[in-house]
Amino acid sequence: MSATLTDDELLITRIFDAPASMLFGLWSKPEHIKRWMGPSNFTCPDAEIDFRVGGSYRVMIKSFEHGENWFGGVYREIVPNKRLAFTFAWDNDGPSAGVETIVTITFEEKGGKTVQTFHQRPFLNVERRDSHVGGWTQTFEKLAAYAAKMTKEHSV
Amino acid sequence: MLDRLSVTLSALADPTRRAILARLAKGEATVNEIAAPFDISLPAVSRHLKVLETAGLISRGREAQWRPCRLETQALKGVDDWLSRYRRFWTGSFDKMEAYIDELKRKERRK
Repeated sequence: MSATLTDDELLITRIFDAPASMLFGLWSKPEHIKRWMGPSNFTCPDAEIDFRVGGSYRVMIKSFEHGENWFGGVYREIVPNKRLAFTFAWDNDGPSAGVETIVTITFEEKGGKTVQTFHQRPFLNVERRDSHVGGWTQTFEKLAAYAAKMTKEHSV
Repeated sequence: MLDRLSVTLSALADPTRRAILARLAKGEATVNEIAAPFDISLPAVSRHLKVLETAGLISRGREAQWRPCRLETQALKGVDDWLSRYRRFWTGSFDKMEAYIDELKRKERRK
């Protein structure tokens, strides 16, 4: 078990050698989404996008091994070239199904390159959204340390 | 119907319950010990413990009076696995995004 064990959200920051406008286009246009969405062994043959706040999207990724996998959600925030937020949930019965998440992406352009900050977390209820306060990381560092210790003890 | 993972994530959603888990990470404790630092009633703490127990995040001893709570890491492992799958999904996607950007830029230069 790793230190991420006790966290329940995902943060991926990556710098792309492209202007923010190009990156924003990659997220907002179906013809672009189909070219990159999904892990390496997947293709993305289908993307239906109603790109406006309140509009929904549905995307399908496909692999020989895993077949067709649909996911979709609703756009909640759109600030061109700067910020994008949408809900995300899988259609199928996989282990991730049934848990709606919210994805927030920000784009920060610097000298022709763009820092893309990707954030995803469960989107369960009002309590969840309102509880997003400080102190959280610190709490879970302690938990992670405990879990690591437990794992060590159990594996001895 | 809520699946297992949703139940765990819902249980983790509350700051008091996260604080309780952090307390239990230091070692097992009784309801009274757990309640001590909180400005909430014992029944309220008990309700939180019930939620954590239902979610499989803690377990409680059998003795009627001394029912120490302890952290169970298996449910947290489920959250970790779930996040790992998403991390692989997006990391793989962003690798492809990088390659696609190169392709778009080459096309732009040719114009």
